[in-house]
Amino acid sequence: MAQLAAVIGTGQTRYKTRRGDVSIAGLLREAAVNALEDAGLGFEDIDAVVIGKAPDMFEGIVMPECYLADALGANGKPMLRVHTAGSVGGSTALVAASHVQSGTFRRVLTVTFEKQSESNAMWALSTPQPFAVHLNAGAGGYFAPIIREYMRRSGAPYDVGIKVAVKDRLHGARNPLAHLQKPDITLQEVEESMMLWDPIRLLEACPSSDGACAMVIAAEDAVDSSPRPPAWIRGGAMRSEPTMYAGREEVNPRAGRDCAADVYAQAGIRDPRRELDCAEIYVPFSWYEPMWLENLGFAEEGQGWRLTMEGATSMDEGGDIPWNPSGGVLSSNPIGASGMIRFAEAARQVRGDAGAHQVEGARLAMGHAYGGGAQFFAMWIVGADKP
Amino acid sequence: MTDVDVLSEAFELGFTYTRSTGPVMGRFLTALRDKRIEGIRASDGRVIVPPMEYDPETAAALDEFVEVGQEGEVMSWCWVSEPRRAHPLQQPFAWAMIKLDGADVAMIHCIAATDEAALHTGARVKVRWADEPRGHISDIACFELAGVAP
Repeated sequence: MAQLAAVIGTGQTRYKTRRGDVSIAGLLREAAVNALEDAGLGFEDIDAVVIGKAPDMFEGIVMPECYLADALGANGKPMLRVHTAGSVGGSTALVAASHVQSGTFRRVLTVTFEKQSESNAMWALSTPQPFAVHLNAGAGGYFAPIIREYMRRSGAPYDVGIKVAVKDRLHGARNPLAHLQKPDITLQEVEESMMLWDPIRLLEACPSSDGACAMVIAAEDAVDSSPRPPAWIRGGAMRSEPTMYAGREEVNPRAGRDCAADVYAQAGIRDPRRELDCAEIYVPFSWYEPMWLENLGFAEEGQGWRLTMEGATSMDEGGDIPWNPSGGVLSSNPIGASGMIRFAEAARQVRGDAGAHQVEGARLAMGHAYGGGAQFFAMWIVGADKP
Repeated sequence: MTDVDVLSEAFELGFTYTRSTGPVMGRFLTALRDKRIEGIRASDGRVIVPPMEYDPETAAALDEFVEVGQEGEVMSWCWVSEPRRAHPLQQPFAWAMIKLDGADVAMIHCIAATDEAALHTGARVKVRWADEPRGHISDIACFELAGVAP
């Protein structure tokens, strides 16, 4: 990339089941204003706006970027909407970063959101089409058999997902913005929760949230407006592959492995578990933690579940590589924003801005998002040190 | 070469949604239920009706509500001589840009008039309220020419 870029402001809403008090524009606006305040900037300082959200059918607003321009101070500026299903929060951040890295813009505001309380996210995911059997599975129904295949191949004990569900909610209890606040959650409570899509229990699934997340990304010569240090973007990568094709590796998708290899190469990382201080990884269903531990090279194939069970990813167990200190997607899931929350939380960690879920001394962190049928991937590495 | 029967089939797709209006549009709609019309003052002092949440120039959040009049002036119009079922009125009518007294921008609504010749730019019109207002833009059933018996 021609030019260095850094996150100089992050802003989020509190995540809730329903924000009936605000319009969709008002919801985004809160996150955008918070990010600008964090960056020490106003809308007048912003050169371009990049937004992202999940498919239009989720809220039933086609081309939301047109409707949202006023609220985001984008009138008279370039405004772009990014669209990559559940990974959109991550890919939107990367598009905003590339706006700066290309040398075209100095300061870009990027915002993602979902108001799930107004949407029909479950069934808009799998629409009936002529000449095809209607799957009508929702996300959990789609991923459950893939998780079962992971369990079969790896021989992982049945309760790995239960452990992740508890771990991420305990992390979330440290984060005042997290939707689910369950500081007293137990393994037993998760195990006894309703089985939704075997082997995914209710408490092993993400909630439905309203919320928005925003960031300000600035060029090297424009990072000083914020009183906080910048989070330097050390690498960013996206990969995609079709939902289905003969021989597709769905448990450990190639697009995810290739994307990770690319972003690690850019950041000069050879051993992510040792070199990263923490990671915010898109885990909407508990078992995706061990699966992504392997896909992203934190563990050998078939061994990811051991890290989880040893507590390596848990702040509360003093793990060496905390995953999702913020509580992750399992604690808050405004779909369009969920990927950007991962990216922004990684930035917060290396800026020393994560409050009670701060990983002490974090200097290098990863943000990750996936979407569709685990086919779109977006990742970045941010660091306290300028590359 | 044999004919190939290429299949096609129509289908419908629909979902249910909720829409939250927020504090600005929500207040405008709630006022309609009480047969009042509220605009909002923009950063440059103009009164905008229906109100906007954010200033179109400065992006500032707007919150100074201003009640405007129930009469106004026709800025421009388009006559609909053969209304279709989805139109708000089933007799010939006009879509019009109407600047209400106290407002600085026009809003779009419909005017019930006996014929096109009765309309002109600058014509005065007044609100006809729906019989049972419910907090919806159609609480303004239509506008009528002021001083003309319906």
